[in-house]
Amino acid sequence: MEPSLLEVKDVLKSYFENGKEFKVLDLIRFELAERDFVCVVGPSGCGKSTLLRIIVGLEPPTSGQVLFEGSPIRADNPQVAMVFQSFALFPWLTVTQNVELGLEAQGIPPEGRHARARKFIDAVGLTGFENAFPRELSGGMKQRVGLARALAIEPLLLCMDEPFSSLDPLTAQNLRDEILQLWANPDLPPKAVLMVTHSIEEAVYLADRVIVLSSRPGRMVAELEIDLPRPRNRKEPEFYGWVDEIYSLIV
Amino acid sequence: MSNTGDDDGRKTPVKDFHSMAKVSVGQILGLVEAVDEVGGLADAATISREVEMDVDRLGPILTAAEFLGLVTIEDGDIRITELSRKLLTANVRERKRIVREIIDDMPAFRLVMEMARSSGAPLGRQQVVQALADRVGSHQAEDVFNALVYWGRYAELVRYDSGSEQLTVRIAQT
Repeated sequence: MEPSLLEVKDVLKSYFENGKEFKVLDLIRFELAERDFVCVVGPSGCGKSTLLRIIVGLEPPTSGQVLFEGSPIRADNPQVAMVFQSFALFPWLTVTQNVELGLEAQGIPPEGRHARARKFIDAVGLTGFENAFPRELSGGMKQRVGLARALAIEPLLLCMDEPFSSLDPLTAQNLRDEILQLWANPDLPPKAVLMVTHSIEEAVYLADRVIVLSSRPGRMVAELEIDLPRPRNRKEPEFYGWVDEIYSLIV
Repeated sequence: MSNTGDDDGRKTPVKDFHSMAKVSVGQILGLVEAVDEVGGLADAATISREVEMDVDRLGPILTAAEFLGLVTIEDGDIRITELSRKLLTANVRERKRIVREIIDDMPAFRLVMEMARSSGAPLGRQQVVQALADRVGSHQAEDVFNALVYWGRYAELVRYDSGSEQLTVRIAQT
């Protein structure tokens, strides 16, 4: 049998201070397969961002394991890309240069880099802004650069850490829709998305599956299949049924 | 200075493009979607509550959306137009084309296009700002210029290099 794309196996994370243990995450266990769009939702301080850092290999778990295609995850895995809440752009680089950065690190020659950057800049709607600097962009455009940079390495798994929470509500909703448009195109990477958010509504709007964490230490209280058809309308009673259910699980 | 001479009696004089200066594409699309979600018609207070933005922040976005012909505002009621419905069902690339068709005929853009055509060379920032200042006043000219660059880039009508401060008009794409 083929291994899952991602397996999170009994991940536990504790910090130790003056010999005292502070547990942040407790026995997190789930899997991601191809074509999964999964959101991890939980109250602030539940360790969901720490979980994402462990999943992409930036931090080791205290116990448990993260397997990517059957092997332990490594931070330099080129099949996994990350989009950050803060955009994480270099202000002195243009849009194209910011997008090409990750490709350079992979040793892709300049011509290949340009073509790849152009493709993904176009996919996220940034054609026309190629030589703009981050300061010339609106917040939504900045996050599109972050997205293009992540997609340009053509990852199997795209991880996003609160990617909309520093945008105003209108810009955020527009970008959610455009991400779903990209996701609906099977010719574009990634094969799976794992996103962390504190917004229950956002999770229900985007995800096929929602993993609900309790407050600290983060424990899995539920894993729910959101079977609403797309495009989803946030005003429909079925939508609100899901939001209410997750609310009651967290509070 | 009057701008009517340059505008051929069109409805949107160059100075009205100023309403586009402080808003982004994403905000306008987000607004249109929010109105659509509540049935295509809502009063400003309802939308303000729905999107959790106060009317002060929402105001400029509404004005710009109305300027683009995406909503009508009457007695405080916001209604989306046919053009909005087209935008909402379009993909990322089609959206750019729709916005291009809305703005490329606006006097502010036609001014820049004509300047580029008659000079036959890239336009310097100062040159364009000066021409705008003659029409909108010097206090708004910078804002209008920045709006032209932002929306012009989005609609793929202009290229701008902020290092050399050179603006070029892109050849119309079919």
